[in-house]
Amino acid sequence: MVKKEIVSFKINGRSYEVIVTPNMTLYELLKEQLDLTGTKRSCGVGECGSCTVLVDGNPTLACSTLAIAVRDKEILTIEGLAKGAQLHPLQQAFVDEGAIQCGFCTPGMIMMAKALLDENPQPTRQEVREGLGGNLCRCTGYVKIIDAVLAAAETMRKGGSQ
Amino acid sequence: MKPFEYFEPRTVGEATEILSNYGEKAQILSGGVDLIPRMQKSDIQAEYVVNIQKISGLEYIEPDEKEGITFGAMSRLRSIEVSKTIQNKYPILYEAIHQITSVQAKYMGTAVGNLCVATPASDVATSLFALGAQLKITGLKGERIEPIEKFYVDYRLTSLKRGEMVTEVVLPNPLPGTGTAFFNLVRTHADIAKISAAAAILVQNGICREVRIAIGAAAPTVFRAVKAETLFTGQKITPEVMNEAAETAAGETKPITDLRSTARYRKEMARVLVRRALEKALERATG
Amino acid sequence: MKEELSIVGRRVPRWGAYDKATGTAKYTVDIKLPGMLIGKVLTSPHPHARIIRIDKSKAEKLPGVEAVISFEDIPPKLFAPNRHDLILYHTENERKDMYVISEKARFVGDRVAAVAAVDAATAQKALELIEVKYEVLPAVLDPVEAVKPGAPRIHDYAENNVSLHLDFPLSMGDVEKGFREADFVLEETFRTSKQQIAQLEPCACAASFGPDGRLTIWSPAQGTFLFRTKLAELFDMPEGMIKWITLHVGGSFGKFGSLSVEPVCVALAKKAGKPVKIEYSREEDFSGTEARQTYVATGKMGVKKDGTITALQEKLVVDGGAYFTRNSTTTMLNMCGFTGLYRCPSVAAEADCVYTNVPTTGGIRGYGNSEATCALEQLIDRAAKEIGMDPIQLRLKNIKKAGDLDNKGLPMETCTLEELIKLGAEKTGWAEKRARKKQKGTKRYGIGMAIMMDLSGSHPAAIQHRNAYIKLNEDGSANLMVMAYDMGQNMPGACAQIAAEVLGVRYEDIHVVTGDTDSTMFDTGSGGSAGCYQVGNAVMKAAEEARKQLLDRAGKRLGLAPDELEVKDRRIYAKSDPRRGISVGEVARQATYNFEGEHLNISGKGSFSPTQSPPPFAAVFAEVEVDVETAEVKILKILYINDSGRVINPATVEGQVEGGIAQSVGYCLTEDYVINKETGVLESDNFTTYKIPSTLDMPETEVILYEEPVPSGPFGAKAVGHGTMNAVTPAIANAIYDAVGVFITDMPATPERIFEALRR
Repeated sequence: MVKKEIVSFKINGRSYEVIVTPNMTLYELLKEQLDLTGTKRSCGVGECGSCTVLVDGNPTLACSTLAIAVRDKEILTIEGLAKGAQLHPLQQAFVDEGAIQCGFCTPGMIMMAKALLDENPQPTRQEVREGLGGNLCRCTGYVKIIDAVLAAAETMRKGGSQ
Repeated sequence: MKPFEYFEPRTVGEATEILSNYGEKAQILSGGVDLIPRMQKSDIQAEYVVNIQKISGLEYIEPDEKEGITFGAMSRLRSIEVSKTIQNKYPILYEAIHQITSVQAKYMGTAVGNLCVATPASDVATSLFALGAQLKITGLKGERIEPIEKFYVDYRLTSLKRGEMVTEVVLPNPLPGTGTAFFNLVRTHADIAKISAAAAILVQNGICREVRIAIGAAAPTVFRAVKAETLFTGQKITPEVMNEAAETAAGETKPITDLRSTARYRKEMARVLVRRALEKALERATG
Repeated sequence: MKEELSIVGRRVPRWGAYDKATGTAKYTVDIKLPGMLIGKVLTSPHPHARIIRIDKSKAEKLPGVEAVISFEDIPPKLFAPNRHDLILYHTENERKDMYVISEKARFVGDRVAAVAAVDAATAQKALELIEVKYEVLPAVLDPVEAVKPGAPRIHDYAENNVSLHLDFPLSMGDVEKGFREADFVLEETFRTSKQQIAQLEPCACAASFGPDGRLTIWSPAQGTFLFRTKLAELFDMPEGMIKWITLHVGGSFGKFGSLSVEPVCVALAKKAGKPVKIEYSREEDFSGTEARQTYVATGKMGVKKDGTITALQEKLVVDGGAYFTRNSTTTMLNMCGFTGLYRCPSVAAEADCVYTNVPTTGGIRGYGNSEATCALEQLIDRAAKEIGMDPIQLRLKNIKKAGDLDNKGLPMETCTLEELIKLGAEKTGWAEKRARKKQKGTKRYGIGMAIMMDLSGSHPAAIQHRNAYIKLNEDGSANLMVMAYDMGQNMPGACAQIAAEVLGVRYEDIHVVTGDTDSTMFDTGSGGSAGCYQVGNAVMKAAEEARKQLLDRAGKRLGLAPDELEVKDRRIYAKSDPRRGISVGEVARQATYNFEGEHLNISGKGSFSPTQSPPPFAAVFAEVEVDVETAEVKILKILYINDSGRVINPATVEGQVEGGIAQSVGYCLTEDYVINKETGVLESDNFTTYKIPSTLDMPETEVILYEEPVPSGPFGAKAVGHGTMNAVTPAIANAIYDAVGVFITDMPATPERIFEALRR
C-alpha cells in the first residue's frame, strides 16, 4: 500500500504543500508536481549533474534524492536565482561569455557554480574545473563555461550582486 | 521507482531494530548516491528504506591524540576531504576522495555508505585498507570492531549480519616514519577506477618495519597483497626489492575483463601502481 | 572588400540565452499538456527474433491504460526515418526497411509494442503485462561475419545482409597504375568507434490530435517540413493537417535528422484519442536512437619518394546496424572525404553496407567525413615516415588550392588549407618540436597535426531550399519568420545578426519567430551545417527586400531617391547630409497607420537554393604526453585554426569548435560503445558506463578564427559545426604516433590498446 502524505516544502523562498509518496524523487517533485521545469534530467543516475539544485546551500542531485527526505530544508533551484528581471551574476556571465549552447546543462551548471563560489569566492581556473567536475556538457567543451564562472567571480568581487 | 515503506529512525537503536525486522528487504539510505539510482533501475531489493540522515550524533570527524581519528556513518565525503587533520595525517584518504570528480556526490555521499556498497573499485576502501582502518559495527546486541580487511566477504558482500550497520570508522595514529601513497587509473576522471593501489610503509633506518599494500578493482574485493607484504617486511628498501614486491602483488590479483579494462592490463598495471605507490610512500616517509 | 560591419562579427548574446540561463526555456521533455498521457515503448530483449504472438489483453485491462499498440495497430508501410528519399537527386541508394513498430525484432532495443497511460508508473506496469512470444533466431553482431554465407538473414531482401553496394561515382584515373607508379604503397584497415552522440536532452516527443483531426507534434526533429510529409504519408493525412513545433533542443548533432519515436507517439495519440508524450530514459536513448555510423575501412595510398600522392583507394564494410537509416549518404560522404581532401589523379572507393543485429546508426556530426579524414590523415603521417619527409611538407606537396574541386567535386571559391597549416606550424614551433632529441623516461611528448575540409549543406546531393520572411513593427523592430533550427549552434541568433546588419537596426530589434511549420515558410531542414550559409542567405534576401521598401518610403518622406540614403543604428539618413534623416520606427509606424491611403506593412521575403557548398577548412595541432608504463595519453594542448569564412558571431563559432574538440577527445580516447557479444545487449547504456569528457578531461585549447570570406556566403560566411571533429581525432592519433611510434587503427585509442601496441 502506497503511503501518501501532505508534506511542506520550502523552494525558492516559497512554501508549497504537496501530496508525496516516499518513492518520489526531488526531481519528480519539482518537475511533475510543481511545474518547476528548469531543473533538467539527462541520465537519472547521478552521473551528469544536470539536476543539481541547492539544499541548505549544498549542491544536491535531485534525481538521486528522495523528496520526503528534504522536507524541512531550504531548496534553491535555477528559477530562484534571478531577482525578478535582475539576473544573478552567474546567469549574466553565462549569457555574456557565450557559455550557453543548447542550454540543457546550464541550470545544473549554474547551480553548481553558485555552490562553488559561495564556498570559494575567488577560485583559480583549476578550482573551477574541479568544482564543475560532476557536470557534463556535450556542446561547449566547457571552455566558456569556466570563463563565465571566473567572470562572475570577478563581478561579485567588485561588488556586483543582487 | 517501486513503492516502499519509509522510516526515519531517530536513534541507532531504532535503526538496527528496523533492519533486524526486515533483513535483506531493507536498505539504509545515507547519501543516496548509490541507492536511489539503483532503486530507479530496480537493481536492488528495497521494500523498506531506512533513512539514517536524521539520527543525531552520526556526523562527526573527531581527531584523537591517542587513537588517531574517528568519523561517523553520516560523515560526508566532502567534510572528510576538507578536514585539515585528514589532509595532514591521512593524505591518501584525502587524495582518494579528492579525485572523485562529482562535487555533488561528495556533498551527498558518505564514506561509510561508499564502503558499504562493497565494490572493489572503491578508492575510499583501497586507501582505508592501507591506513589500517577499523569499522565499528552496531547491531541489536551491541557493538563490534572489525578490521576493514575482514569486512569484505565477496563482490558486493560485507560481513554485516542481519540488523547490523556500520556506525564509525577508526583510523590509528600513523607512527613516526610512516609514508603512504595512493594511485589509480581511470578512463575519464569521472569514471570509477579500473585498477588502484595504495601503500603504507613504516621505515626505520632504510628498513621496512611494517607495510600494507592494498589493491582495488583487481579481484572480487579490495584486498591486501599479503605475499608481497611478507616479502617486503624487514627488508632494506631498494628498487629491486620494490620491483619484486610489486611483481608479487600483481601475482596476487584476480582481475577480470569488463567494459572498463582488460584482465591483462589490470594485472600489468597492478605491478606498475604498486611499485609507484611503494616509491612514493618511501619518499614521503623519509622526505 | 572589407566592409564596416556593426553587428555581424560581434559577440552578441545568443538567441534564447536569457531563457536558458533562467530555466524558463522549454524543451520537449518539459512539455505538459492538459489530459496528457505518458507513452512508453516495449523493446525486444533479443538481438534477433521472430515475433510469433503479442497478447495485449492484460495490459489493456490495467486501470489507467488508454492505448496499447503493436504491429497490427500501425500503418503497415515500410518507410525510411530520414529525409533522403524526399530530397536526394539520386534515391536509388536509399532503402525503406522500417515499420513504425517492428514486425520482427532485429536488435536489443527494437520497438515491439507501446502503451499510453495516465502516468509513467502505470505505463511501466502495462509494459510488463504485455506478453510477447518470440522465436529467438541466431544473431550476428559484426559486419565481417554478417556477409559470410550462412549468416542469419536480418532483412528478407538483403542477401548476405548486404543492403547496398556502392561504387564511388567520383572515382577517377587508374588507381592500379597509380600504385604501380608509387615508391611506397601503404594499406591499413581501420575500425572506427560507434560513438553515442550523447546529447544531454533524452529523445522525446509529444503528439496531440485536435477535435478537427489536426495533429500538433512537438519533437527535436531537424527538418520538420520534410518530416511532416513523412508523417502525412505514413498516417494518410494531408500535410496541412500537421503542425510541427520545435521547442528548445537539448542537443542533436545530426541525430534528429532522422525520425526517432515520433511515429510511435502519433500512433498512440491516434488510438488513445488523447495527447501522448514519450520521454526516453538515458538507457532507451542510448539503445533506441541512432549512434555514429561505423566502418571497417581499408585505406590504401600510393606515394612517391618526392611526396607526390599517386593513388588513393578506400574499401568500406559499413556496420550498418539493424536498419538502413542513413547508411548510404554517410558512406558517400566518407568516400568523398577520403578521396577528395588532397590533389590526386587516381582515386577510387567502394562500399558494402551491411546489416547487423545492433542498434541503428545514423548521421552524426562528421557524417562519414570525420571517419574518413581520420584514416586518411593517419595514413599521410605513416607515408611521411616511410619516405622520410616531414608530415607537413607531405601535405603541402599535395594540397588543394582555390579553384580546385573540393571533396564533393565542386570548384572551391577559396581554399586556405596552406595558410592554416603554415600558421599552425609557426604558432606551435612545429619544426623544433619535431626535431627534438629522442626521449627516454616514462613520459614521452608528441606533436601531431591534421587538416580537413567539410561542407556548408548537402548541395549537390540533395535539393536544399530555404525561405525567410521579415516584417517591420511600428517601433522599428522586426519579426523574422524563418525555420532556423537551433540545437545550440545559435542559428536564430546568426539570422538576427544578419537581418539587423542589413536593415540597419539593432540586434535586439530582430524578434526571431521559428520552430513552427504553421508560421514559417518551407525549409528543407538543418543538417550538414547548412544553416548559416543557406538560411543566412535567405534571411539576407528577405532583409534586403524589406530594406528596399524601407528606403523607398523614407525617400518619399525625405524627398530623396533611395540610393541617396543610408540606414544605420535605427536611423535612415542622407548620405550627403547625415543630419537629414528619420528613424526606422517612424517610417514603419507611418506606413502602418497611414492616413494618406498608402498602407504598407514594410516586409520582405527571401528564398535561397544553393548552387555551392563552400567547404570550411581547418588545421589542427595536438600535443600529447604518453606514459610508456601505463600507456595513458594526456593531451597537453589542442590548437584549432578554423576558416569558416566571415564569422557572424565569434563566441558561437569558437563554441562550436570547442565542443567539437571535446567530442573528439572522447571519440579518440574514451568513448567505447560496448555490446555484449553473447546477448547483443548494449552494456555502455548510461553515462556511468559510457564516458564522455568532463571538465577535467579537457586539454588546454586555443582556437584561431581565420576569416577568408566566400563571395557566395551571407556576408561571406560558410559553416562550422559539422566539421569540427574531422581533424582533431587524427591530430591526436598522429601526436601519439610521434610520441611512441604506435599507430592506432581501432578507436578509441584506449590505454589498453596502446599498451598492447607498445608491447608488439
